[in-house]
Order: sequence, then structure tokens, then C-alpha cells
Amino acid sequence: MSSHGVEKSHSQGAPFKFTAENLAKYEELLTRYDDVESALLPVLHLVQEQNRWLPTEAIEYVSELMKIPEIKIKEVISFYDMFYDVPVARNMVHVCTNITCSMFGGREIYQGLLKHFDTDYLTPTRDGRISLQKMECLGACEMAPCMRINNDYVGPVDLVAAIQKLEELP
Amino acid sequence: MDKIMEKDTANYKDYTLLSYHHIPGVHNIDVFERAGGYEMMKKWVGAEPETIKEEVKQSGLRGRGGAGFPTGVKWGFFTKDRAAKKYLLCNADESEPGTFKDRFLVEKNPHILIEGMIISAWALGTQKGYIYIRGEFYQQAVILEKALKEAYAKGYLGKNIMGKGFDFDLYVHRGAGAYICGEETGMISSLEGKKGQPKLKPPFPAIKGYRGLPTMVNNVESLAAVPWIMRFGAAEYKKFGTEKSAGTKLFSISGDVNKPGVIEVPLGTTLKEIIEVHCGGMRNGNKLKAVIPGGSSSPVLNADDSYAVKMDYEDVASKGSMLGSGAIVVIDETRNMGDILKYTLEFYHHESCGQCTPCREGTGWMESIFKRRESGKAQKSDIELLDKTAASMRGQTICALADAAAMPTQGMIKFFRPELETYVTTNVNSNKR
Ligand SMILES: Cc1cc2nc3c(=O)[nH]c(=O)nc-3n(C[C@H](O)[C@H](O)[C@H](O)COP(=O)(O)O)c2cc1C
Ligand code: SF4
Ligand code: FES
Repeated sequence: MSSHGVEKSHSQGAPFKFTAENLAKYEELLTRYDDVESALLPVLHLVQEQNRWLPTEAIEYVSELMKIPEIKIKEVISFYDMFYDVPVARNMVHVCTNITCSMFGGREIYQGLLKHFDTDYLTPTRDGRISLQKMECLGACEMAPCMRINNDYVGPVDLVAAIQKLEELP
Repeated sequence: MDKIMEKDTANYKDYTLLSYHHIPGVHNIDVFERAGGYEMMKKWVGAEPETIKEEVKQSGLRGRGGAGFPTGVKWGFFTKDRAAKKYLLCNADESEPGTFKDRFLVEKNPHILIEGMIISAWALGTQKGYIYIRGEFYQQAVILEKALKEAYAKGYLGKNIMGKGFDFDLYVHRGAGAYICGEETGMISSLEGKKGQPKLKPPFPAIKGYRGLPTMVNNVESLAAVPWIMRFGAAEYKKFGTEKSAGTKLFSISGDVNKPGVIEVPLGTTLKEIIEVHCGGMRNGNKLKAVIPGGSSSPVLNADDSYAVKMDYEDVASKGSMLGSGAIVVIDETRNMGDILKYTLEFYHHESCGQCTPCREGTGWMESIFKRRESGKAQKSDIELLDKTAASMRGQTICALADAAAMPTQGMIKFFRPELETYVTTNVNSNKR
């Protein structure tokens, strides 16, 4: 988890609402649980699938839809590393900096990528292509040093290979 | 995803969790069934629940999530009122650094877990279950979703399973990146749509869990072991492993070995055999320096103990550490233990949920010693301070994360104090390893 407090949420300057398809998915999600609140994590994942991140407008929308107070949703968002209350890029890249990966240069890869793409933790590159996030053990230490590019694991990689893979991203 | 090393399990082939893994396409239900999958579900769903529970208890199976508590005993605490609303929760959070065995199991053979969960749900009388999988395991969640769909289509899940009058619904629930959601009460908070903050025990989840109702939380590997315990019986299961540590265990091995990966061996296999036979020996033929035997929460073993230890709950404990989740990190002579401890402490500080002062502050203080090092301000005496801080954190908190941070710290100091003292007082910029 990344922070203990609730940070100010950011606006995207445009309203959010689920597409018809995602609204149907939302309805299906609710059937899996015995109360509405339990569906919050999957619903936030669904919002991010559509919108990449969780601006104020999305929080308001989810709050209204699920009848959960906004403050509670913000708390949840700030607790989990994979929920983003700041704008993130088209491609999310997770670099593992935990024990085994660091033994094999995971930290140097993370720093090297930040430098190569001239960016910082989560900050989208200027072309909006990539957000980098260092992560704790990704549960794939046999691939150390490893990373996740969007939803796929890659590893072992070195900095050169990592840069090359990221440069290929749309 | 295919890079995982598959190790030779020929000796235990007919008995193991990984015994289906060599079959191409076994993640498809038809292939799995042709290989004998779901036979145990068909045999046992509808049978006397107490018989199943007793068999699991007699097998000596111990929870594979880390604590090693006997699964059958835990099941015994669960209400026998079959009509009462209750839940089965599979812990697939797998966030303990060094651990990747559950991912391997779910990825290759999701149906063995589902079969184990259906049998367990019948035995326990739960109507609903969730597989809580860490958010990063997206593709694995997709694999599970597909497998669940197949099982529903065959009538193995849902209403009136196989006409036996038993209803059980099973869903995948994705986490979102927080280690503490692996702790069972943190997981329950998270499933309830809240921050993943642990709750004080007792009451234990088996009594009062998800939504305040009885909830049985079991690890992936524990639940996946149920079908073959029910196939061959407790007595056969107990033939593997040691008297108190029965059965086979998955180990995930990473670090300085030639072939990192997941293996399944009987409990009590020596760490030496695991490193030298199953993992192809030390990388570059380097000398072994230390091993983290059971995930980042387990105290490190020095080279001598590592080569002497048998990987079962008792023997690892006798060396002052724990078997934990079976996550073995092998460290060779080229490594500095200061680096390893630094990575470990940064992790725990980042993952403390912040509810308890000794944990929130303690993990921060411990990490700050390594921060002071970066500015050249750390002193030799800081290692003593580290030891004292760690000691003061133990047994004081809502959940075991504080202990999980303190124990490896103290273990590291026990074996490597001089090295750590040199490490923190070495100017970082002039000494790049
Ligand atoms: C900080 C912490 C993290 C944990 N992480 C995991 C985990 O990732 N996976 C897991 O199965 N158990 C984990 N556990 C253990 C669970 O709380 C629980 O004991 C376990 O899921 C029970 O299943 P079992 O009896 O089959 O082992 C963790 C415990 C603690 C204190
Ligand atoms: S010990 Fe740490 S992680 Fe566990 S509840 Fe307390 S603050 Fe949270
Ligand atoms: S340490 Fe990087 S995946 Fe485990």
C-alpha cells in the first residue's frame, strides 16, 4: 500500500460514466456478492479498465451508483497500489524492486527506465505512453529481475531489453 | 509465463499436486477430466461430510499459507450447522516476497484448486466461495474465470450440484496491490470493499469472518491437496514427509541457483538436495552464504545451517527460522547482507497498514537507519538500535506483520552483525558493490 492518508482527488475535467457494456458487467458483478460494498474493488478495477485512472468524476459516479460515501471510496483508492487517483499513461509498467529482483539489478532497471523516459513514479511520459511504478515482490521471483507490462509478466530482463520492450509499446 | 522451470517429479508422480502439470492443455476441463480430474468431487460430494473432514484431519495436512496450522483441526472449529450462512475463502494473494508457488498451480492447473474447493465446500457446508487473488495476477484470474465457467457449464458449481441437492457458487475476486491482504482478516476487510486492514483475533474468521459470518480461509496449495488426500487416503498421504510434517510441499526457489522455479518434494527433503539436485546447484559455482528458507518473514539461515536443515516445519524451527510459505531465497558469497536487509525493511515499512503504532513506527525507524546510511550518518551502534527496535515490536500488534518484519531483522543481526555494522557505516557513494 502506498499511503495512509486520503489525498485530494484530481479532476479529469470531463464527466465519467460506464459504457453500456461495462454497465452490464457491473450488474453481473453485483450478483456475485451478498452486499453491494463487497463489489467495490472489482468495480474500481472496471472503472480503470475503461478510464485508466480514478478521477473525482469517476468517484462521484461510483458513489452514486453503489450508494457508498465518496470518502470511503477515496480511502480505499489510497490504500491499494494498483488504484490510481492521478492520471496514468496508456501503458502501466510495474518494476519489481523486492529482494530477489533487486539482487539481480531490479532497482537499477527501475532507475534506468525513469532516466531513459525522463519521468518519475507514475508520471506519464510526455507522449502519454508509459507510466512506471516500482512494486513489491510480484510473485514471479524465478524471472528476476522481472516486470509487468500492462497485464503480462516479463523476465528476466536487463535495462537494455527493458527499454527495448517499452519502446515497442503503442 | 512459460518460463517457469518444471522439475522432475517422477518419483511422486501419482500423488502430487503437480502430477497433472506435464499434460498439455490440462487447464481445460475435458483434458483434466480425462486425466482423472473431478473424480474425487463426484465421489465425495454427497458423502458424509464428517468422513471427509476426518480424512483431512488424519492426513496431517498443515496450512500451506505460512503458519502451518493443521487444516483438519481448523475445519473442526467451523460450525456444523449446515443451514447457517457461511463462506469458503481461498487465499491466492501470494505476496510474501519469494513466494510464487500458488501462481504456478493456478496457472497450469486451475481445476485442481476448483475441485478441492468444491469438496471442501461440501464438507464444510459453505454455500459461497471466493478465490481472492492478488491484483497483479491478472492473467491468472482470467485463467480461473475461464475454468470456473467450464465447471459451471458441467453442473459442478451453482445450484443443485450433480443433482445432489448441494448449492455452491464460486467466484474470483481480485485484490489491488497490498501485501497485508494476504493476512486472513486483512483479506476479509478487503473483500468487504474496505481498506485491507487486519482485525483483532479472536474472534477468528472461522467463527466471525466475512460480513460477520463464519468464514474458512485456506491457502491455494492447502485446498488443492484435498482431492488427492481423498483419492489415496490419509494413510497414503502420511507416507510422504515426516511424522509431524506430512505430505509433499511446493517450494518456490529463487536467487543464486542455476535453475530457479517451483518444485514439489516431500516435507523433510534437505535444503542441500533442493539446491544441488533440483535447482542445478549454485549459480556460477559460487559459495553459498545464506538462505531465506520460508519467505521474507522467516529469519535467514547461515551456510552451515542451510546445508544441515531438512525442509519440514520442525527442523526449520529448530534452526531458529520457519518453513513459512516455502519460499526459498538462495544467497551466495557475492552478496552483501546489508543490501538484503535493506530491501526487506523497505518492504515492510511500505506494507504496514498503519493501524498499530509499534508496526507503523517500528518499520519506519528500522528503514530509516538505512536511509541515514545514504547520507553517511549511520553509526555502528545503529545495528544494536535496530535489534532493540525489532525486539520491541514483537507480539504487540493486531496482526503478525510487525513480527514478520522484526524476526528476519533479528535473525540477520544474529548471524551477520559485523557485516551489517560495516555496511551501515560505509559511505554509499565511494563503495558501489
Ligand atoms: C502479514 C501476513 C501475510 C500473509 N500472506 C499470506 C499470503 O499471501 N497467502 C496465504 O495463503 N497466507 C498468507 N498469510 C497467512 C493467512 O493469514 C492465513 O493464515 C492463511 O491464508 C490460512 O490458510 P492455510 O491454513 O491454508 O495456510 C499471511 C499472514 C500474515 C500475518
Ligand atoms: S501489525 Fe502492522 S500491518 Fe498488522 S494490523 Fe498492525 S499496523 Fe497493520
Ligand atoms: S522479488 Fe521480484 S518478483 Fe519476487
